[in-house]
This record gives sequence, C-alpha cells and structure tokens, in this order.
Amino acid sequence: MLLIPCVHCGPRNVSEFAYADAVLPAPDPNAAPPSVWRRYLYMRTNPAGWTSEWWYHQSGCRRYFMVERDTRTNEIRAAALPPRPADRGAP
Amino acid sequence: MTSAGTPPTIPARMTRRLAPQAGELIDRDRQIVFSWDGDRYPAYQGDTIISALAACGQRVFSRSFKYHRPRGLLTANFNDPGCLVQVDGEPNVRAAHRRVEPGMHVRSQNVWPSLQHDLGAVNQAISRLLPAGFYYKTFMAPRALWPVYQRVFRRFAPGGRVPRGAAEGYYDKRYAHPDVLVAGGGPAGMAAAAAAATAGARVLLVEEEYELGGHLRWGDAAQLARLAELRTAVAAAPSIEVLANAAVIGRYDDNWVAVAQRDLPHARERLIKARASVLVVAPGLIERPYVFAGNDKPGVMLSTAVRRLINLYAVRPGERAVVLTANAEGDRAIADLERAGVQLAAVVDARQGEDVVAARGGGLLREVELAGGRVVEADLLVTAVGWTAPTALLNMAGVRPAYDPRAGRFFPRDLPDDLLAAGGIAGDGTLDQIVDHARAVGREAARRARARGGRSAPPNPLPALPIDTALSLFRSSTHGIVDYSEDVSSKDVVGAVREGFDSIELAKRFTTATMGPAQGKLELVNTVAVHAEATGRDIAGTGTTTWRPPYAPVSLGALAGRSFQPVAYSSLQPWHARQGAKPLVAGQWIRPDHYGDPAAEVRNVRENVGIIDVTPLGKFELQGPDVARLLNYLYVNKWMKLAVGSVRYGVMCGRDGVVLDDGVTGRLADDRYIMTTTSSGPETVWRWIENVLQTEHPQWRIHVTPRTSALASINVAGPKARTLLQRLVEGIDLDPEAFPYMRVRSGAVAGIPGCFMWRIGFTGELSYEIHAPAAYGLQLWETLLATGADLGVAPFGIEAQRIMRLEKGHFIVGQDTDGLTQAYAAGVGALVKLDKEDFVGKPELVWAAQRGDQQILVGLQPADGSIVPDEGCQLVEGERAIVGRITSSRLSPTLGRSICLGFVEPRLAAAGTMVEVRLVDGRRLPVRVMEHHAHYDPEGLRLRV
Amino acid sequence: MRRRLSGGGQRPAARYSALSLLRHGLTGRDWPPAWTHHDLAPSYDVVIIGGGVHGLATAYYLAANHGIRNVAVLEKSYIGGGASGRNTAIIRSNYLTPEGVRFYNRSLTLYQRLAAELNFNVMFEQRGHLTLAHNDASLRTMRWRAEVNKLEGVDSEVIGPAEIKKRAPYLDVSEEPRFPILGALYHPPGGIVRHDAVVWGYARGADAHGVHIHQGTTLLGIDVADGRVRGVATSRGPIATPVVVNCTAGWSSTVAAMAGVELPITTFPLQAAVTEPVKFFLDPVIVSGTLHVYVSQTARGELVLGASVDPYPAYSTRGSLEFTEEVAAHVLELFPSLADLRVLRQWAGLCDMTPDFSPILGKTPVEGFHVDVGWGTYGFKAGPVSGEAMAQLVATGETPAIIKTFDLVRFEDGRLVGEKGAASVGH
Repeated sequence: MLLIPCVHCGPRNVSEFAYADAVLPAPDPNAAPPSVWRRYLYMRTNPAGWTSEWWYHQSGCRRYFMVERDTRTNEIRAAALPPRPADRGAP
Repeated sequence: MTSAGTPPTIPARMTRRLAPQAGELIDRDRQIVFSWDGDRYPAYQGDTIISALAACGQRVFSRSFKYHRPRGLLTANFNDPGCLVQVDGEPNVRAAHRRVEPGMHVRSQNVWPSLQHDLGAVNQAISRLLPAGFYYKTFMAPRALWPVYQRVFRRFAPGGRVPRGAAEGYYDKRYAHPDVLVAGGGPAGMAAAAAAATAGARVLLVEEEYELGGHLRWGDAAQLARLAELRTAVAAAPSIEVLANAAVIGRYDDNWVAVAQRDLPHARERLIKARASVLVVAPGLIERPYVFAGNDKPGVMLSTAVRRLINLYAVRPGERAVVLTANAEGDRAIADLERAGVQLAAVVDARQGEDVVAARGGGLLREVELAGGRVVEADLLVTAVGWTAPTALLNMAGVRPAYDPRAGRFFPRDLPDDLLAAGGIAGDGTLDQIVDHARAVGREAARRARARGGRSAPPNPLPALPIDTALSLFRSSTHGIVDYSEDVSSKDVVGAVREGFDSIELAKRFTTATMGPAQGKLELVNTVAVHAEATGRDIAGTGTTTWRPPYAPVSLGALAGRSFQPVAYSSLQPWHARQGAKPLVAGQWIRPDHYGDPAAEVRNVRENVGIIDVTPLGKFELQGPDVARLLNYLYVNKWMKLAVGSVRYGVMCGRDGVVLDDGVTGRLADDRYIMTTTSSGPETVWRWIENVLQTEHPQWRIHVTPRTSALASINVAGPKARTLLQRLVEGIDLDPEAFPYMRVRSGAVAGIPGCFMWRIGFTGELSYEIHAPAAYGLQLWETLLATGADLGVAPFGIEAQRIMRLEKGHFIVGQDTDGLTQAYAAGVGALVKLDKEDFVGKPELVWAAQRGDQQILVGLQPADGSIVPDEGCQLVEGERAIVGRITSSRLSPTLGRSICLGFVEPRLAAAGTMVEVRLVDGRRLPVRVMEHHAHYDPEGLRLRV
Repeated sequence: MRRRLSGGGQRPAARYSALSLLRHGLTGRDWPPAWTHHDLAPSYDVVIIGGGVHGLATAYYLAANHGIRNVAVLEKSYIGGGASGRNTAIIRSNYLTPEGVRFYNRSLTLYQRLAAELNFNVMFEQRGHLTLAHNDASLRTMRWRAEVNKLEGVDSEVIGPAEIKKRAPYLDVSEEPRFPILGALYHPPGGIVRHDAVVWGYARGADAHGVHIHQGTTLLGIDVADGRVRGVATSRGPIATPVVVNCTAGWSSTVAAMAGVELPITTFPLQAAVTEPVKFFLDPVIVSGTLHVYVSQTARGELVLGASVDPYPAYSTRGSLEFTEEVAAHVLELFPSLADLRVLRQWAGLCDMTPDFSPILGKTPVEGFHVDVGWGTYGFKAGPVSGEAMAQLVATGETPAIIKTFDLVRFEDGRLVGEKGAASVGH
C-alpha cells in the first residue's frame, strides 16, 4: 500500500486518494483548433520515470494537489498544492 | 488418564512412537482420536496430522500430480509437498504442519479409487511418453475429439475438493503499526526482536511454526538451553508482540507487510496488515532436496525432517537408514537416528566424494544404490546436501539477491534503508556469531525506525557475518524429481532447454517447475542448477524466476475478511420494507422498485396524487458570491441570471462534450444554491466541482457542502398535489401565481421547519419536490399519506417513475446516453448555449454542432403498440446494418401502448420516419420516429397548472 | 511492399503428433529446438518490436500469408515475458460495437484453427463465458451486446439465474448477496487458452518460415529521416529497415516516442492471482463487471482470478495487497463456499489504456512506422487477428477494413470507438 504525502494531511494510504490525471497545460478553449484541443484531451507522454500528476484526497481533506512520482518504482519526491491566485480574499 | 508424574503407556497402534524426547511438542497426557481415510487413529495433543500417522507406521500420504506416484514425508513441515490432505470441507491442508484435533476427518487427495490402489498410477508406466509439455504436441486432431480430451485432463486436476453451498468458518483482519517487524522467530529473529525492544522499539515478531525457536527446537541440550534464554528475553520485553503460526506473506510498497495468522480460537485465519517502519527478514534457511533417481519415494527424507520427527514428535522415521551428508546438520541427524534406534545401513559422506545414485522400491523405498554400484537395503534415506535462502521478502522489495558459488546460495545485497536481514539468510557462523549479529541488526532497526519518525538520519553500517564454503550439490549422476508438486524431473528441464526454452523463465513456464503449492521454496534452486548445467551457464548467470507474493498460501477468506458492503438507505426505507416494496439495487442504494402494481401507481399519479421517495438524488449546497459562475461553467446552459426563488434544469458535460450528469438547481438566497445530481452521480460531480474550483478557478469564492443524506426528498406528484400540500404548508403560498412552475420556496411542511420545495415535472404532472431534514423524513411521509387519504394519495416506486418519465420523454444519463453521447446527440441541443464565453465541453460541442453526423436520441413508437421491444434491441436496415437502438421502452398505462426512446442515425431522425427494430427472437417490428421525446402531453400543460 | 522470397531460410520443423511423442518416448531422442538463435543481420525488410503474441503473430503471418520472411522480432527479455505471459487468457468475441464484434470474432475463429495451423496445441477450451448482471443497467447492456452479437452472427444470449445455476452450480444465485445476480450474458464460444502455448506456437511457426527471433535484444532508438523509418538501434547493434511495427504493451509510448510519435495512452498495472489446484468444479468463465472480477478454472484445477486495472498509472509490476483483498472479497460474493481455498501467487502486467478502451492499429504520421498498441486489458484475445491484419498492412501498404476503425487519427478527428461502456471490465 503506497503512501501518498497529502500536502494538507500528511502521508496517508493511497486507498484514500483518487488519481486524477497528468499535470497538463490547457490550451485556450476558444482558440484551439481540434488537433490542439484533442491532443490536450487524449495524448499523454506516459513516461516510464518521473512524472507530475494530480491527486485528489477523496476520503480525506478533498484537496487536489500535485505529486512528482516515479512510475517505475512509485517513489514520490515532492507534493505541492496548486498555485493560489493573488486576488483571493480571506476564506 | 494416568496420574501425574508417570508417563502414560503408548497406545499399541503407535508402533513408531519413541520414549519422551527433551524438546518434544506432544502432550502424552492428552490422547485424541481422528480419522484417516475412514480409519480411526490415535494421536497426542501437539501432533501434526502427519506425525500422528507416521507414529502409527503410515508412510504414504498422497499421490503425485501427473504420474500418481505414492508420496510420503519429505520436509515434515508446512512445505511438505506430499502431505496435502483434505480435512473435512477444507482442501489442500498442510498435514505436516496442521495439528490434529479430536474428531478431525482427514482424507487423502488426488487418489482414485484409493491411496493404496490408484488407477492413475498407470501414468507411471507410460511416463516416458508424457514428458513436460507433452500436451502441446498432441490431442490436436481430429478437432472434434478435443473436448473429450479436455474432460479427461480435468479428471487429473490435483488437489482436494471445495465444498458447495454456504460459507463456513470465520475470517478476520487487523491492522498493526510496529516500529520493527521481524519475519522469522528462530534464534536470529528472537535476538533481533529482543534487541530492538531493548532499544525502545515496538516489535511484531512473526513465526511460521507454532512456537519460537527455529532449528534450536530440535537441538541438543546446549541449544535447548540457548532457546530457553532467548525465549525468556522475548517474553520479558513487553513491547514485543509474538505472532506464532503466522507467516509474513508479502512486503508491498512503503513496507506494507501482510501477515497470515492461522488457526486462531475465533477465526480460521486472520490477515494482519502492518505498516512497519523497518522490516527485519530472518526466515532462516530451507533445506534443499537432492536430485537423483527415485528421490521422491516414500522413505526419502531431508535431514531436518528426520530431526523434526525424532525431536519434536518422538517418531522413529524408519528402521534401517542410509544417510547422505554434506554438512553438520546431516551429521547431527545421524546422531539423532542412532538415539532413536534406527539401524544405520550406510553413511554416505559427500565431503569424501561419496554419492547416492538411486532409490528403489516397488512403492516404498527398499534399497539405495550408491556411487560405485553398492546397493544397500533400507527403508529410510536421509539427505543433507545444502540450503536454499528464502529471499522472497527481499525480492518483493525490489532487491536482487546475488548468488555466491562458494556458499552455494543467494545472499541479500543493496538493501533499502527500511529493510534488514538477519540469521542464515545473511550469512553463516556459530550460534553466538549469529545471535550477536542479529542483536546489532535489531538495535539498528530500532534506531532507523526512530529516525524515520523524526525524519531521516543516515543508516549505520552493520557487521557482516562470515560465509562458509559449502559443496554445491544439486544433482547426482542420475535424473530425479526437481519439483515434487508438479512431478517435474531434471530430465524434463534438460529437455526443455534442448527444445529452445533456454531462459529460466521459459523453462519454468514450459515444465511448470516451481509453479505448484511450494512456489519454489524447495525446487527453485535445483531447477536453476539443472537448467544452468544444461545450458552451460553458471547459476549466477542463469538467475532465478521471480518470487511473487504471497510467500505462503493464504485463504481467500482471510484476504476477504468479513464482508463489509456498505448499503445506502433513505430514512424512509424501513417504511418501504414494511409495506412489502420490492427492493431495487441501484448502486449503493436500495430503493423501492414498486409496491405491488407499478401501472396502478402510474394511474394514481396521473389521476390523483402519489408520493415517491427521491432521497438518493445527489444534493449539494453551494454558497458564495461566485456560484452562478460555477454553474455557468459546469452546465451547457446559462445560469448568470437565475433569480432567487427560481430553479433551472441543467446538463453537464465532460471536456469531451459527453453528457456527464443532469439535474435541477435552485437559488434559495442571494449566495445560496442547492444543486441536485442524478442518484448515481454525486461522488463524480463533487470530485469534478472540486477539480474546477481548486485547479482551474481557485479565485472563485464558493463553498460546497454535500447534503444528499442530510435531506429526505419526497416528490408529491399528481393533479391533486396542490390540494394535498395546501393542508400542510406554513408560510408558503401555493397559489400558481405565487408559486409557479420551476420555482423554489422555503417554509414548514407538516409542522417540520427548514423545508424547501420546488415545482418541477419529471413525471409530467403538477409536482412539488419537498426536501426536509432527514430525521423528519418519515414523519413527513406518513403525514402526507394520512392527510391525503381522501384524495387517493398513494406511494409510487422507481418503476412507476420510470414509466412516467418515459411517457414524458426525459432521458436518463447512462441509460439513454452512453460513454460517447454528446449533448447534441442526447437531443438537448436547444439547451447548449455556444455563445457563452466558456463552459466545460464547449470546443467539442462547437464542432459537433458543425458536424451533425452523430446518432441522435428520438421518441419511438412501435407500429404494433402491444409489443414492447427490449431495451438494447437494435434498429436495423436490410440484413444486419445497425442504424440505431432502443435505449428505453415500456408499456404506457396512460396511453395503452408501447413507447420508447432510442438512437437513430441523423438521416432517419425526421418525425414520421419508419425504421425496423429487431426483436430478441429475431422478428422485425416497424417503429415510428416521433416528433417529440415526450409521448404524453408534449406541451407540458399538466405540469404548469 | 515488394515480396522478397529470399530473406531468412526456411527450416522444416519437427512434426508434433501422438505418434511422434510415442517415437521420441520410446527412443529417448531429444526434440529439436522449437526455434533457433541467430546473429543480428545488418538489415531486415521488417523489424517488429515486441516478442509477445502480437509481434510473433505479425511475423508469422507476414511469412506464412505474404511470403515476407526477412523479418526480425526484437524482444528485450524472453518471448511471451510481457503482457502475453501475464494475462488471464480469456478468449471471447461478445463485444458491444459491430466493428469490435467482427474484429474479435475473426480472432476467435483463428484461435479455433490455431492448433492445427501451427501444429502446436494451444489448449483452447471453449467452455462458455458468462458475464453476470447484478443490476438492471448491466442487464440492459447485456441485452444490447447480445443483440449486436446476434446481428454479427456471434452466439450470445441473455440468460436468467436458473440457467446460470445450471452452468455454474457453485455460484450463489440467491437473493442473499449484496448484489444479487439478476442474469448473465452467455457466450458459448468463449473460453480460455494456454497463453504461453500461443506465443510458443507462433514463435515456432515464424522461426520455421525463416523469421529471426532475437530474444534479449533491447531497442535503443528508431532512426527516422524525412518522415520515414530508416532503421533501428539495438543493444546488439544497428539494423537498417524501412518498416518498424510497434507491437509492445506497457512500453508502447516509449517506443513510439523514439519515432517521434505521440500516443493517447496511459500505462496501468493489471493484476491477477491464482489459487491452489482443486478438483474441477467450474466450467465456464465467470465475469462480473459490477464486482470487478473474473474467474476461471484451468484444466490443472487452479482458479485464475483477475480484476480491473490498478487505480493509478505505473510501470511497476510488484503488485499490491489491496488487489488480492478485493478480488478475494468479490470471488467470495460469487462463490461463498471457496473461503478455504488458498491464493498461491499474484502477479501484474502492464496495460496501455486508451481513452475509448479500444486499440490503436495501423499507420502513423511517420512512414514505415506502424502501431499495434493500446491493448488495455483485451490484447491477448486479439493477437491472431491483429497479427493477420498488421501483416496484411505491411505487405500491401493498405489498411485492412477490419482494423480501419482503430486508426490513430481517430483521436484527432474525434471519432472514438464506442466500446467504452462495455470494455472497462470486459474480459
């Protein structure tokens, strides 16, 4: 049972989390031609090695955060929350 | 029973029971009786099934898989391949490990008609025609006979019988969080555990046998004294928990360690899942069988088996023995045999270049041929040729052990910081050296466990154990069995290499060596050695096959544990059940399908008023100033101008434009909305909303609260719904001018404060969906029924609701849409607002609108209204061209005819087009494409009243 | 491509039969090697990456059907050591889309003839295949599949609990379980095969036709110039070739990237487990989509257990305890009396999942670089038909009709294949 280092809760069993997707930059939805948009939808580099991905702490704090993981060994070297906008007020 | 102090006399049937031994595990005061193949046998408490039978002179316990050769004792422990038996309903019981219990019914397996007279043994005579993989080369023609061959093969499947019917026994699970988990309770494991505990660690010490001690248990007086010391040290440490008769079966990511604990008072087997900071692997060594002709004859045993039998169970293993010894364990076995009164016919010292060539005998061992041609009469042949290191747990952690040809076994190397090795797997040496090393390992394990808690400290190096040179004895000059469970001989392995299976993995797969119940513990190294010999490579260059979990077999029951299948009920479910509602399994929910007559329930809603429990609808409370933006982004339609007090229906798509969910959302206050989803959708939708809010639009100020099970939801539908509710509401004006269609109002209903209700029309009738605090659900439901009795109010179930929604042509996401249905194809194109700046799925929907080539959902009516085509039936043109399909169909009680929703190709979507549906029985039925999805009241007049 | 009848020399293989078994048994003579070792030639007409069922079948049909024999199969480990040796060897053709049904049914037909064609018994046991429905939604999908199957001439029908009980008496068809069995899709031609035998049979057949099978040979790079394939670099040296066929599973993205081709693939482990053998009690293959489990009993008496892919992508095949726990719980839901049966071994293979649960077969933007990838959890059953079609593509330069719908460009065009609903836990 892999441990995922939740940025908010600390290391927890992977069974509490849902893998979401690779971290990908999204093209402009109003400008991208089909080839660019569908590349974003479907194409993945799928590396055998280090990769950045989104995880969701579904049975926990429900935060989305980014994890750097080696897909060959499941070693995890970093986890971080998504960047927060400057204009965001107090919660 | 006899008086204390005087040993009781040995029952006459126990012809091979010895006088009391110093380390024996049997309790001679407690005699029990069990049955073996229908006969009654005596045993002592503490006997294994096999030790009890061996004490009574039994020597054959099973027949082999392929050739049905008689098999006896080989290892006298859990791994013994010839000692698998059926115990009552339990197949494949390790009878050389399982202790006898009074009244046990034990039967031999893989025999027909009996263990003594087995007809399958004819295979022995033709064994030369049945080499490994013979089945790949024959039974191919004629093809018609192949099913007959299959049935014959199946008769030869080995193993016991599984019972039929209900589950028996009880299984359990447990979690543990030790600082240090020690796998193996021999001298090294005990020493490591005690040292780790002294250093402050909480330790879980796991031992596969019933008691701690490993090989010390069958040792001499000095070794028994050391055993007592070590046991005392373990017992004195309160932070050590000992699990006996338990096997570490796997090491998974991040030291997630699985332990199978057997034969507990309350459970047959228990799976313990331990998150160990550090794992110490101390399994000892497994004695390796020797390969020579006849090495599987009953009477050929390993030296450790003989020592176990004599010292632990006080059983004389034979009458006249030949001993092949290459090491000290063999020499000690000789001493044990002499003490047990076994006549030593010959001692064959491999260190002097002597060898055994063949074991012979009709069924049982009768004579042994030595190198040089001397033949010795014997009923026991003991071999002590060397050891296999069970490195499985290390391999599971990604370690690749290295073969040391001087020692003739594999050793760990490059261990990760959270894994340590102690005992025979780490090296040789005297008992003192091994214990000292293990103590150092235990202390270091405790230190590393502490360091992991307070973040890392560099691991300290550990002392190394000496490594003794040993003879590399794998095979004699003759061929014999390498895999006892699979009946694979060394000749099969050589043949496989010559046929091209020249990598060890290919040879394993072709011969099936190492694939049986022992999973390589006894046979792997011999297979590798024979393979290396055949290819001309060395053992290090040949490598081994992969050790995979579980290290020891574990029952499905223990892996499954007790069944915890969550069930979701609304607060009204007990009422539904009392009314005899037919339950419907819908995902996690159990819901009332109907209360006896769904058609009558439909008619009552159409004519009077009905109530339905719709609690499983997903419900979220969305609060904050930016909720409208979120809705506008999630749904294909527009949300920026939804007024307070209004509700709107929305369709949600994924980024690929495929319909994901739908539902009604109402604005209760300026910054407070309630969103509903399909009853199967809330988890997906919530996850999706959080994704949008956290990763795409973190600047939006919105808080999401799930309310699905906090609210009991009841839909009151029918022309008399308003009349009924007028009797029950407080503070809500139900006048259609004041509370029109698609509006939401808050207030008290039936005296329950804090309710809100909205007017929507899934059923097509005037209807109010009331959401009340869940605790008041039953009160609301019963009050509605009592108050509306004169109006004919009655409950209706899912089936009636489905009929009515189909009459109204509302699609169900997942039934009338599939994994590729985009919004336009679902027939809700009018809802899609491509002029919005951005919403999920917009690019794909823009292109879909341009393309217009997708099948589209339409209303369909069969020409013969008495026939209801099954959902899933295909619309066809000509012989077999598929042009659409039926997604929903029912007989409409309102219209008195069959009605459907279905997909058709766009060229067939015009109203009035006739297409053909192929019914399940192959008949074709014309169906008409309708103008609307709705078959009933398409203008929606009834729900707007 | 031009036919080159030269290339590797053909070698008569020893004929396997009951008679030859008898002769070898009595004389004690060794069997000749099923395949041979070769030096790496400097050039081949076709280089196939991956020595699993797809690569070996492609090589075999190139030689057997099209006379193209100057072919190399590169396998980094041993033949059949990847997904071909790790799957649960279930064969069926009861798919959801007409294209899918036609494609897999061709494969099933080839499987039926395979033992005779290859003179190697692949032990295809057509025991029947039952996909259980535990709710009305899956029952509806079963009906949909059955109707499409029938239109394509494939034997498939929805049956009720009483008939299920007849075919699998140990199944619990009562109302007791949390998810009672309401019905099943019954597919009589489905069954199980010996996966290794299929690999070995194709390897032996290809070798006899002169194909060079290079085991222990790792692909290091693909040489592309002016948009076309020129050759490959391997751990044993370079090879000049105009055609490279990517027949890998688990590594298809890596191999495609060497040619500069991007794939819509994410790699997930798929785990399986096997129990100790017990006397034969289960004839058909049992699949439950709701419980995410499939079960079959081999002729050796073992129960082979599988589930859906792991919940997160990885190239690790170490396996997890969660898998065995879940699969055991679900097997006992179906067969409550098996609690005492023991799991002997678990393992994992790598599955290349595509967005529409359908494979990618055919040409790529790089001329001469073809793909036979994206096999998710259903690759083994498609080995023969894929090999046949890819061989035809290489030989004729035209994409055969039977694989047209599975082209790579469909993702750019937004023409996804509709197997998404049924294939997620299809087996």
